[in-house]
Amino acid sequence: MFLPMAKPIRGLRACVAHVFEPMTFAGAEGMERLSLVPSRARELIVADIENRSLKEEIARVELVKAEMEALKAENARLAAGLGLKTVEGRSVVWGRVMERDPARWYHGLMVDVGTREGVPLNAAVLAHAGGKVVVLGRIAEVSERTAKVLLVTDEFSSVAACLSSGTVEGLVQGQGSERLRMNYLHSEATVMPGDEVLTSATSATFPPGLLIGRVAKGYARDPFLAFQSAEVRPVFDPASVKEVMILK
Amino acid sequence: MRGLTYFRMTALFLLGALGHWWWTTYLSFWGVAPQLLLVLTFVVAARRGPVPAMSFGFAWGLVLDVYALHLMGAASLALTLSGYLAGNIRRQVDVSSLAPQSVILAAGTWGFFLFTGLLGLIFTKSFTWPGWGMFLLAPVLNCVLAPLLFWVWDVAVES
Repeated sequence: MFLPMAKPIRGLRACVAHVFEPMTFAGAEGMERLSLVPSRARELIVADIENRSLKEEIARVELVKAEMEALKAENARLAAGLGLKTVEGRSVVWGRVMERDPARWYHGLMVDVGTREGVPLNAAVLAHAGGKVVVLGRIAEVSERTAKVLLVTDEFSSVAACLSSGTVEGLVQGQGSERLRMNYLHSEATVMPGDEVLTSATSATFPPGLLIGRVAKGYARDPFLAFQSAEVRPVFDPASVKEVMILK
Repeated sequence: MRGLTYFRMTALFLLGALGHWWWTTYLSFWGVAPQLLLVLTFVVAARRGPVPAMSFGFAWGLVLDVYALHLMGAASLALTLSGYLAGNIRRQVDVSSLAPQSVILAAGTWGFFLFTGLLGLIFTKSFTWPGWGMFLLAPVLNCVLAPLLFWVWDVAVES
């Protein structure tokens, strides 16, 4: 693990968490049920209307699914023919944010899924922002029913990334604040504000091409360093994340 | 301890922990929420002295440590020390009246943030910074919350 904690301390932490987490878990479930009560009645009516249109949609999806299977098989044949390694598909677990503290706003949050749902340690955690799937962080601690997410904005977080404007690769590192820093960019690379920062194919945790943020500004080049750096504004807002998507 | 039975102590601990979790998760605006557990530790220290305040502070600190990712024990130590200091200050200062209460709480909140940050710097080589919004506004919210919690304490425990 990347966090500097000795094994006995981790054991103690797990024991304490085992005592206190059910309280938070039950509280989060209670809050969820309470908040759903007014909308349930309206949802029943809406569900009936949706049900009819979804039945029609399912018929169309079957056709798309058949086409997708054919394309997938064709892709596998072509990849095998070219001697390329195919990437294993990953399944998704959805989790609800059940705890976050403004004092640790840019560091981490807790979600209501754990080993029971098959969430592994170090799994990629994604979120929806602006109609896109974006990088949120990774699983840093996992228990039976809950998991803690280390956000990309945390000081201990780093993600291999590339710029959308070219093939320039770098390492996006958290600063413990609302901004990220992309280091190790080639010293001659052109970094433009507004460039999208995407996960790199070299990332061990994240699938390639996922949006992390946008370049806010490039730092002045240091003549003593062999690389340049840029400030990155993450696309997710910690306050607005309600559900997360965990890749396992 | 008159008025503070085991049942009430357990209820206070659970309500405090649940209240803090609920407020920070569902009721924080612009990334700011009061440090409910710090204020509660202060209230216990003002009304009952350092020993109960340190005990509650330690237990509530463990709850905060479970939620946090990095340094296990930082919040427990900070809240225990807060309870000790506030409990001893009450002998010199009338912590129940509004002005000294606000001064001590504001200083205590900044002290809490700086102390946990310094512990992070020592043990994880990273200063745990809560952000300027939280650093500047949390003491104000804590000072607003304190009289309410004093009143609740007087009604629920002392009566």
